[in-house]
Amino acid sequence: MTDELDEACTSVARLLAASPAPVRRLRLQHGDLMVEMEWAETAAPEAAPAAVPRAPESSDAGLAYVSAPMVGVFYRAPKPGEEPFVREGDTVRPGQQVAIIEAMKIMIPVEAEAAGEVVKILAEDGSPVEYGEHLIAVAG
Amino acid sequence: MFESVLIANRGEIAVRVARTCREMGIRSIAVYSTADRDSAVVRIADDAVHIGPAPGRRSYLSPPAIVEAARLAGAEAVHPGYGFLSEDPDFAEICAANDLTFIGPPPDVMARLADKARTRALMAAAGLPILPGTTHAVETPAEARETADRIGLPVIIKAVAGGGGRGVRVVRDAGELTTGYLESRAAAQALFGDSRVYLERFLESARHVEVQVLADTHGGVIHLGERDCSVQRRHQKLIEESPAPGLPDELLDRIRTAAVTGARAAGYVGAGTFEFLVGRENDFHLMEVNCRLQVEHPVTEMVTGVDLVREQILIAAGERMTLRQEDVRLDGVAIECRVNAEDPARDFLPTPGVVTTFLPPGGQFVRVDTHGYAGYRVPPDYDSLLAKVIAWAPDREQAMARMRRALGEFGIEGQGVRTTAPYLRDLIDHPLFRTAKHDTGLIS
Repeated sequence: MTDELDEACTSVARLLAASPAPVRRLRLQHGDLMVEMEWAETAAPEAAPAAVPRAPESSDAGLAYVSAPMVGVFYRAPKPGEEPFVREGDTVRPGQQVAIIEAMKIMIPVEAEAAGEVVKILAEDGSPVEYGEHLIAVAG
Repeated sequence: MFESVLIANRGEIAVRVARTCREMGIRSIAVYSTADRDSAVVRIADDAVHIGPAPGRRSYLSPPAIVEAARLAGAEAVHPGYGFLSEDPDFAEICAANDLTFIGPPPDVMARLADKARTRALMAAAGLPILPGTTHAVETPAEARETADRIGLPVIIKAVAGGGGRGVRVVRDAGELTTGYLESRAAAQALFGDSRVYLERFLESARHVEVQVLADTHGGVIHLGERDCSVQRRHQKLIEESPAPGLPDELLDRIRTAAVTGARAAGYVGAGTFEFLVGRENDFHLMEVNCRLQVEHPVTEMVTGVDLVREQILIAAGERMTLRQEDVRLDGVAIECRVNAEDPARDFLPTPGVVTTFLPPGGQFVRVDTHGYAGYRVPPDYDSLLAKVIAWAPDREQAMARMRRALGEFGIEGQGVRTTAPYLRDLIDHPLFRTAKHDTGLIS
């Protein structure tokens, strides 16, 4: 019974991580399992500067994020065309390299801090990211 | 003209630069550290990039973070403000290597003027008066003693890589020379990452008078008058004004001309400041050249009507200055007070915390440059400057009365937050300041 609940929670966490907009309401019923989610409007609030990331939702229970250690370009693989460090569904351990941030031609390895399953790659390969931006969501 | 400018700074100066960008139709990009997540410039600028954690060396002092932020936001130029990377020639080089225009002097000019001892030699060669002292780093305590014997006590020991009055030591007694020299070297290493120091004769009761210059890339060099910054505490400026009061016009003319001569000799480009000491005999001596916008630039703006940040941007974009020397007029008197989040009752201890009430003064001819607001958290990570209050009036008497009124209006409250506003008001009322007979020794 609790396994079922755990699985439901993991699924909800994945949905939250992949959510395109903040979740306004979440309802989880346990008997005859039912999950209901309601998203907020996707329009950004006025006066929020374009480049400022939206604050992560605080209801992402069980999720840990690998964040950018510095402002730079995010790469998923050691070299162009090579296999990415991790894919969604992979299991990572603390200290494992999961990405690279390039800043002024210096390659900075990005490591997972917590063990768990990669549920979502949040940043696009080759895209510039800010300091602290969430790159990868990991379910512990 | 630039389409976009990244502001590589924080606090009130970042807001100040963003305002001019907006007026010029230039997209402004703010950068912020984690400690400044809720800072005013993040809201005021068109874009904002989170560049690092609170410590300066990983955010505002990190060239890679700034350059990557510029790349991310598509900035064409970088305005460094004051402090942080504003006088770092290496950073200016890095900007150039990354196709970013650094809004400031060329790196080689900055490198030359960053060495304060070499600057003295360069300016002496250009015919500017300098104080007796060394034009190179003093290598040993014995050399420090020999120099002091030659030029006479008291001496002031300064960092070659220094500036802004930080880490300077005055030695009045020959017996304290060795200790003073060694302590200065240690302080210089800690503050500037360069232990070299030089010696200068210390003028006991002098006025600090600095000249604002503008130079373009087409050989145009002008001055915008001077500022008196004699009200200092431990070599930190508290009150500045323009024009300098109580000095003969003929002397001021000579000081202004000297600054322009110095700027030409250095091949200066951009906005720069030539700092002089004026002695009791109306003798004047060049101290140092600052290759950046100064904290106290608003007093010059108020008496000349010139937006210095706009001029900096136009010059960096390669435009020819439209302003001619004969167009520059100093109209009226402007006084600036630096309101810091410090407690004068506890030896000016910084008082970081949340500002719950923030009611800046306003009204006729009062300008307040600030990044503060009700609910703003003064972070403990940076300097304590919270606001600059600038008052303009047709004459000094009215300007002082206006400043007194403005400081009295300033309502700042917060758990543990104290400011220097009441202390500044007392200084404005000081008989020596009121009669313009004050010098750098006013507070001691």
